[in-house]
Amino acid sequence: MNHAFLDAHATLDSPLHRLDARLKTVFALCFVVVVVSTPAQAYCAFAGYTVLLLSALVLSRLPVGFVLKRLALVLPFVGAAAIFIPFLPSETVGGGYSLGWGGLAVSRSGMLVFWNILVKALLGAFSVLLLTSTTPFPQLLLGMARLRVPRVLIMITSFAYRYIFVLVDEAQRMARARDSRCYSHRWLWQAPVIGQMIAMLFLRSYERAERVYLAMLARGFDGSLPAEKPGTLAARDCVCACGVSVVVVALRLCAL
Amino acid sequence: MHIPDGLVSNSVNAVTCVVSVGTCAVALVRANRDLGERQVPLLGVTAAFVFAAQMLNFPVAGGTSGHFLGALLAAILLGPLNACLVMAVVLLIQCLGFTDGGITALGSNLFNMGIVGGIVSYGVLRALLLVLPSSRGSFLAATAIASWLSTLLAAACCAIELGMSGTSPLRVALPAMAGAYSLIGIGEAIITTAVVSTVLTVRPDLVGAWRPAPEAELQGA
Repeated sequence: MNHAFLDAHATLDSPLHRLDARLKTVFALCFVVVVVSTPAQAYCAFAGYTVLLLSALVLSRLPVGFVLKRLALVLPFVGAAAIFIPFLPSETVGGGYSLGWGGLAVSRSGMLVFWNILVKALLGAFSVLLLTSTTPFPQLLLGMARLRVPRVLIMITSFAYRYIFVLVDEAQRMARARDSRCYSHRWLWQAPVIGQMIAMLFLRSYERAERVYLAMLARGFDGSLPAEKPGTLAARDCVCACGVSVVVVALRLCAL
Repeated sequence: MHIPDGLVSNSVNAVTCVVSVGTCAVALVRANRDLGERQVPLLGVTAAFVFAAQMLNFPVAGGTSGHFLGALLAAILLGPLNACLVMAVVLLIQCLGFTDGGITALGSNLFNMGIVGGIVSYGVLRALLLVLPSSRGSFLAATAIASWLSTLLAAACCAIELGMSGTSPLRVALPAMAGAYSLIGIGEAIITTAVVSTVLTVRPDLVGAWRPAPEAELQGA
């Protein structure tokens, strides 16, 4: 299988890829928090955020098709939430549309709620996507560890990251074996087959974890993983980030 | 059920985030104290397992499918606090690697799927086991009920969070989500029970929540 599906383009080279992981992580998190806290009517602020992210995208040289495909994954949940929009109380009926069935109406406030979740979900996903596609996952974890995220959590995550590929491969091999035995996968009462597969997957992964642990002990594991070479935090990058932060804060404050 | 950014209001996110971070902190302290470094590869591989298992969709009806949540299964196998850690790692990787679930909604997602779907449902399981006779059959029955509830409760919490944020009206969203997920929960129950039953047969020592009555063990031996 494709072994780089988590951070597919993280090994490209661009100014954004060369930035320190800590800086990118903190910046992305703060940026999303600011975006989410912006009121929905602040259309100019959202336009500004989008321009910032698009210029970051140009700077990062990521393939646009890949970014669009990933962003589209957010839409199903937003769509599911949009189903409920016609049921919202219509305090602001001006500019609304009556759907004509049973008094359901798409009110202006309902449209605003939809716009709010759509733009925030997309911008949030866009920021996280830019972060993870410009930072290899181990570097991202190392950055988080240097930001004082608890060591045990980082280690569990790095183990999970290593074994996801192995176990997803295993799951896909099992699914292929099942399908080649004419499993039709149509009705709920066929679900126990999946249960037995998952049980086998668990047993195999548990036994693999036991073997891995013994192998690690044999190679001198003492509860910590050898760290990769950490990136360096250049003063120039910090100044740059501060500059962009000022723009973001200014956009946010305009919206008040 | 992975909530993206912006669907849940900041105040709701803040509250669920505090609860989630607090629970994870307790879980981390316990994992450090009780099991030490040996637990780390196990929890990591289990997180990868939950991740891989969530990719095996199960059929619901006529070609539609749901996917496995796994929080209660992890709680049965590893204990509720460890399960919460595992779910935190799974959600973190899904959020960062797949943009599945927003980074600011991580607290809410962990609250729904790790704390309510894992810890609270595990409490339901333990309560059921107190009432039911101690046998393999009733253990599996309790597993089925608790795992169905875990999906339902997680979805209900999701709907309540969306309702409190003003994203969707509660009186429509709650019944709709509860209705859909009570069906998906049947799949979750079938799968969790099948997994627990198979693991009980092959490696009963791995099912942490299974404590057979002493006489049953003697008869088995």
